[in-house]
Amino acid sequence: MQKRTWKTNLFIVLMLLPALVLSLGIIAYPMLNTLVKSFRDAEGAFTLENYRFLFTDKIALDNIWFTFWVTAATVLLAIAFAYVLSLYLRFSEGKISRLIGSLYLLPRFVPTLVAIYAMMTVVRDSGFLNRVSQLFGASFKPGLLFNPKGIIMMNLWFNIPFAAMIVSASLSAIPNSVVESARDVGAHKLSVFFRMILPLSIKDVLIAMTFVFMSNISSFTTPYLIGPNHPMMLGVYLRRQFSTYMNYELSAALSVVIFLFSSVSAVVYLYTNLKQKEWEKVN
Amino acid sequence: MSYFFNPKRFYHSLGRRRFWEWLLLVAFILFFYGPLLHMFMLAFADKYEAPGVVPQKFGFQWWEYVLGQRTLVSSITLSFTIAFITTFASMVICLPAAYVLARYEFPGRKAVMFSFLLGNAFPRIGIYTSIGIIFYRIGLMGTFPGVLLIHLLGTMMMMIWLPSGAFRSVPRQQEEAARDVGASPLQTFLHVTLPMAWPGIAVAAMFAFIGSLGESEGTLLVGLPNYRTMPVEMYGVILDYPATAGAVFALILIVPNILLLLLMRRYLGAETISKGYKMG
Repeated sequence: MQKRTWKTNLFIVLMLLPALVLSLGIIAYPMLNTLVKSFRDAEGAFTLENYRFLFTDKIALDNIWFTFWVTAATVLLAIAFAYVLSLYLRFSEGKISRLIGSLYLLPRFVPTLVAIYAMMTVVRDSGFLNRVSQLFGASFKPGLLFNPKGIIMMNLWFNIPFAAMIVSASLSAIPNSVVESARDVGAHKLSVFFRMILPLSIKDVLIAMTFVFMSNISSFTTPYLIGPNHPMMLGVYLRRQFSTYMNYELSAALSVVIFLFSSVSAVVYLYTNLKQKEWEKVN
Repeated sequence: MSYFFNPKRFYHSLGRRRFWEWLLLVAFILFFYGPLLHMFMLAFADKYEAPGVVPQKFGFQWWEYVLGQRTLVSSITLSFTIAFITTFASMVICLPAAYVLARYEFPGRKAVMFSFLLGNAFPRIGIYTSIGIIFYRIGLMGTFPGVLLIHLLGTMMMMIWLPSGAFRSVPRQQEEAARDVGASPLQTFLHVTLPMAWPGIAVAAMFAFIGSLGESEGTLLVGLPNYRTMPVEMYGVILDYPATAGAVFALILIVPNILLLLLMRRYLGAETISKGYKMG
């Protein structure tokens, strides 16, 4: 690589500057501020009390566990459904698969609140499903509001299409010829899947998982509107500590805790990304 | 009736494979489109009382009602104004960085890319509350610039990663060829690089626009009481208004997104969008 002139370097810095200043101002600085605040008490003295409270208080612990398993269930179910859907879209030809292929992106474009509202009018006790069941003389109440089932269902509504989009993009990068040649030399469908398709798409599966995990562990709107009051998701708990109890230090500590959980998935993401680059170098 | 709805008959007339395909299609439509279609029906119902499955009377009564609420109508104008300004500002701020990140190798390049992901790992509510405290201190709470900054936050990762991937996939040889025949760097960028990267940029801009149009959590915290966008009003509508009025308002919220989806259909492949979630 030839040596760059100072003009080029200046150009790089100037081009980067606005975005960097903005992200320092509205992302990095607030994050640091939160971190510092989380180690303070109401008078501003150093303390670990906020963290001790979060990991000993019964309600706080309930909320942490609750958030964990709702998020885990969301990630696993969303990825499983999305993978099957993507496989179907990739390897099936026909009107139905093309139709689904052109329809599955829509949920990405529906505002969160609208989707939740639409779902509520269908599943609530006097909603559409109940009215349909009354046609048959029953009174079916799905019982999907104000409990974890409802949150997970809504999360799936948002995240299956998202994950399917990421996985589909990676599956469509696998050339037909590769799959066909493996089949030609007698590889079984299952072994083609486990030895070729899965390894070639696993990186994007992890990317999808990272984003699904991150956006759901701190989600607010869905659990706020259709989740239970106890135990509650950490996003709602955080908001309540902030707005209702004005406990800024505790809500700061809670932010940091959620961030640490999320960072685990961010690191997994970074790791898969770097690993792939090494693999590319060999070629 | 049972002649047509006999699942066994249906199964055998289609064959095993096609039967499962149809089942998948029906489940897919019911789950993802059912609620939206139902809301569409609600929005045009004048009278819809339990246990009716279909509204007793169709009409535009609730449209008149919603469009007669001054606060709701002004929230529509406000939302669009903010979304336009956010998208434009985000492009002006992020695209130069995206270009440099795609075209030049320099120390810390990966870290800069990764920092946008890390910003996403921090809970949004946490960042909003922290920004809220800072805004209080510097007097940005409840102001237009404050709301704008909150909206910009949500657009940054996409507006950097996606266009960066798009710039990266423009072949360098093509740019060099333009330079060889005497084009200036700016001409090369405007006539070669930009047109080729355009689909990625357009998709990122569209996501910034609909992201801003749908943003509720941060605006709720920073914008009140002066700036009530559509989604902020929607919280109140969900809790306080009759279901039919809510459906009308929700439909108004969703229309611009669907128009954009149709308008941009050419560019919107899974491949293009998923570039926004990968650091190049």
